Amino acid sequence: MFSSDDTIVAIATPSGRGGIGVVRISGPNATAIAVQVLTRRQALAPREATLTRIRADGGSSRRPSDHAIVTWFPAPHSYTGEHVVEISTHGSPVVLRGLLGSLVAAGARLARPGEFTFRAFLNSRIDLAQAEAVADLIDAATPLQAQMAFDQLEGTLSARIEALDRKLLDLIARLEASLDFPEEGFHFIEPHEVATRLGDVIDELNAVLSHEARGRLIREGATVVIAGRVNAGKSSLFNALIGHERAIVTDVPGTTRDFLTETIDLDGLAVTLVDTAGARETKDEVEREGVARAIRARDAADLLLVVIDSAEELTEDDHRLIDSDEGHARLVVASKCDREPKWERTEAIRVSTTRGEGLDDLRCAMLRSLTGQEGLRDPAAISNVRHVMLLKEARAALTHARTAINDAGAPEEFVLADLHRARTSFGEVVGVGSSEETLDYIFRHFCIGK
Amino acid sequence: MTFDVIVVGAGHAGVEAAHAAARMGCHVGLCTLSTDTVAHMPCNPAIGGTAKGHLVREIDALGGLMGRAIDATGIQFKLLNRSRGPAVWSPRAQADKKRYADWVRTALGQEPNIAWILGRAGRILATAGQIRGLALETGERLLCSSLIVTTGTFLNGLIHVGREQRSAGRVEEPPSIDLAESIKALGFQVGRLKTGTPPRLDRRSIDFEGQVEAGVFVEERGDSEPTPFSYQTRRRLENRISCWLLHTNDSVRELVRNNIDESPLFNGQIKGIGPRYCPSLEDKIMRFPDRDRHQIYLEPETIGGDEIYVNGFSMSLPREVQEKLVHALPGLEAARLIRPGYAIEYDFVQPTELTPTLESRRVKGLFLAGQINGTSGYEEAAAQGLIAGINAARTARRAESFVLGRQDAYIGVLVDDLVTRGCLEPYRMFTSRAEHRLLLRIDNADLRLTPRGREVGLVGDEHWDLFERRRRRYEHNTCVLNQTLIRLDSGQRQTASQLLRQPDIRLNALVNDRKVVLDVDPELPDFDLATLETTIKYAGYLEQESSRAERARRSDRRRIAPQFPFEQVPGLSREVVQRLQQIQPGTLGQAARIPGMTPAAIAVLGVFLNRLGQPATRT
Repeated sequence: MFSSDDTIVAIATPSGRGGIGVVRISGPNATAIAVQVLTRRQALAPREATLTRIRADGGSSRRPSDHAIVTWFPAPHSYTGEHVVEISTHGSPVVLRGLLGSLVAAGARLARPGEFTFRAFLNSRIDLAQAEAVADLIDAATPLQAQMAFDQLEGTLSARIEALDRKLLDLIARLEASLDFPEEGFHFIEPHEVATRLGDVIDELNAVLSHEARGRLIREGATVVIAGRVNAGKSSLFNALIGHERAIVTDVPGTTRDFLTETIDLDGLAVTLVDTAGARETKDEVEREGVARAIRARDAADLLLVVIDSAEELTEDDHRLIDSDEGHARLVVASKCDREPKWERTEAIRVSTTRGEGLDDLRCAMLRSLTGQEGLRDPAAISNVRHVMLLKEARAALTHARTAINDAGAPEEFVLADLHRARTSFGEVVGVGSSEETLDYIFRHFCIGK
Repeated sequence: MTFDVIVVGAGHAGVEAAHAAARMGCHVGLCTLSTDTVAHMPCNPAIGGTAKGHLVREIDALGGLMGRAIDATGIQFKLLNRSRGPAVWSPRAQADKKRYADWVRTALGQEPNIAWILGRAGRILATAGQIRGLALETGERLLCSSLIVTTGTFLNGLIHVGREQRSAGRVEEPPSIDLAESIKALGFQVGRLKTGTPPRLDRRSIDFEGQVEAGVFVEERGDSEPTPFSYQTRRRLENRISCWLLHTNDSVRELVRNNIDESPLFNGQIKGIGPRYCPSLEDKIMRFPDRDRHQIYLEPETIGGDEIYVNGFSMSLPREVQEKLVHALPGLEAARLIRPGYAIEYDFVQPTELTPTLESRRVKGLFLAGQINGTSGYEEAAAQGLIAGINAARTARRAESFVLGRQDAYIGVLVDDLVTRGCLEPYRMFTSRAEHRLLLRIDNADLRLTPRGREVGLVGDEHWDLFERRRRRYEHNTCVLNQTLIRLDSGQRQTASQLLRQPDIRLNALVNDRKVVLDVDPELPDFDLATLETTIKYAGYLEQESSRAERARRSDRRRIAPQFPFEQVPGLSREVVQRLQQIQPGTLGQAARIPGMTPAAIAVLGVFLNRLGQPATRT
């Protein structure tokens, strides 16, 4: 149920990449929660924009990470009529999601779709005509319905969760039937089947959740960082991929001192290419700063293209780049492959920008790496943070149920308590079930009764 | 004549209602056509079953009759779901239907506050939305502060056997036509339901032993150690009869298919809606064509009597087809039909007309309980009778109402479902209807409810004394289990409670091996042990459930004043407002359970409750 006495938080700016992103907190504890993610210790002054640094690490460490402007709008003179704190910071999705995580860790709840408008309406900040969205929300049987109209991707997700929910309903109905109709003379489900079917649902839920990251990529785009030694051909590759000259390409090592970015369309996926300065020891201060930035840029990458000149022997720097166990996905690009190769590695994609060779292979590999095996044609991916959270709750409940069956031999009614919990979470994504629904299902599918 | 409470009908709802009101000190008139049919079982001669057994335990815990009646007159006892978990164990018993009725009649006879009114109820007397009394068909007028109507299937009852139809309340009993008219005239929303019963066979025409030997029937004897329904039963129960299991065959299937046009269920003759969980033979065969056989139980209706109930064989086909069908059953080739089965249609009042005390909103002081509210089953009827009886007595005394929540009891689930959701088909209780099932077990019904029964004055001193001792034992034993250290094979020591949390450790075994010494009721050790074991073993689940229940209880505490102006709440759609006005929920929790409510609508309502919810002026 919607409650209106807790503190909610959400990203207020449209998803995707913008220069500035705003995270909005509303509720009785808005200020108390907000100050926990700020480095500034002083209390916030009403209606005063304050520059501070924020912790946007999802609550995992206390390291301040970014600048932000924070404003407190005390109740009742705010958008929602409650205490509202707005944090404006970098538009980077990484930063915004991290900030959201920190705020949730500090005690805020992720807002449901339309919940800010809803609260504004409750507190008479807007009338109903202004809040048509709220009217729809009140009429919508499911939260997702309200969103589906303008969100095709989530619609596909909803279909997939619904299919999962049906499977779970079938399992629940069979278990419930065996409890409520023990004298029918047959099993509604064989005991060993329960764990198997539960396993199937968990596997499928895992598959949906593993696409979480992909869903985010689809919505917000991916960042691909080109890295490598100086003069390895990074800028040539950058230009080849964007299809026109943007980076200055010379034979002089260290030409790219800062980094360049350009967004390309990779088979429907928005990819921001980042060309970074080559890594080398240098005394040039500007260049040194460029190198430092290049290393930071890599941290934000969804995929790293490690470019290595195939016509030169591999150096230690190259090995470090290839074999580094940093968490990024990486592709090794053997550049300048029109020349005599000095090294071979099976995983390397051979590219010649002068001849235009290997670029299609590279694009395919990038796409595969970013989106998983199936490419983008199966977009049942979750990009909504709240849905991810709900589905993870469902998974936890289902896993608990499986443990209860396998290890503790818990009786069905306890296992069912877990399964119903999982269905409640599904219900928040696709619509709410009821005991009546379970009984309907039983009566429709089984001949019950004496 | 003037009464505090008049009860119309002496079925399972009526007798509990009359008994409860009388025990609470009211002068009660119990109106019935004949004392011969008191607490009658016109269908299945059995009490209990899944979830129904829970209801009986709860009725007993509150001080009602049904549990003691069935323990005293049961002839075969079985604890269903014994191999499953403690929350779904459900007692069931075959009753000697004649002795059951005798027992209840005697129990009522011992209540000096109950006077029998032998006659047919004709008209409900009400003025200005307030009950005044009851007029009998003879014209006699009886006055009362509260009237409880429990007429079962009698309102405009219509029996179908094949194409033959006759007006009847039950077989060979006339229906209540005038009363039905009177209820309609008061403006109640009336619907039509259907139920049915199987044919009865002559015991003497069936060779039970021969068929068991031939492997055609399977004999069922009941539990070797029967579990009583009542906490007050202090003696060992006995199984006195067997039942027999057999299965339908292809000839039965063919016969039904070939004669389906003769079935009033399938030729359009019956308009009322029947229960899906208790389908007629016609339904089973036509709706589930893939099932090649169905179970049939042969159940004696009394000891020493000749009527055999053919459980699973309810139908409304013509008598001659029923005879053929019986003879088509394996082992019943020579069986003699005493009475054919039949379907009965009857009027019911949509229970959304009622408040959670089962009082009608339309007429103050008028209570409805049992099948008239769209339920089926003796246990569902008795539970409502009890609630209506208690509240009728309290209304007559101008005392506060008595309502059980969904977190407190199956009875609470039953009443809340009825008054919040209404009935589309005959309503039967299932454990799956109780979202807090884990907390509502048969082993703790007394701990949950006996104090409540004591509070309203239904639980007598003797019953209360038994309960107090049991509660003290429970508290003492819990301490013992938390404090007793047990040495494990590894040499480590753990408390008995810690040990019990392991799946394969059973309390029974610990007690038998003298690892712990508990104070258990020597006569009913299972009650004590089950409660202890369950609360310790599943503590994690139970805690989680308790906190869910507490959350639900909170929204059930947010009261909505009578005549709350739902139409003034901004943002609610017209449908939602209509639904709310129709159901008139008494709490925010109840409002949330009305079908078609969205979470957002409830949140809006919750906020405006505070703003608009100054107690509305009573009209």
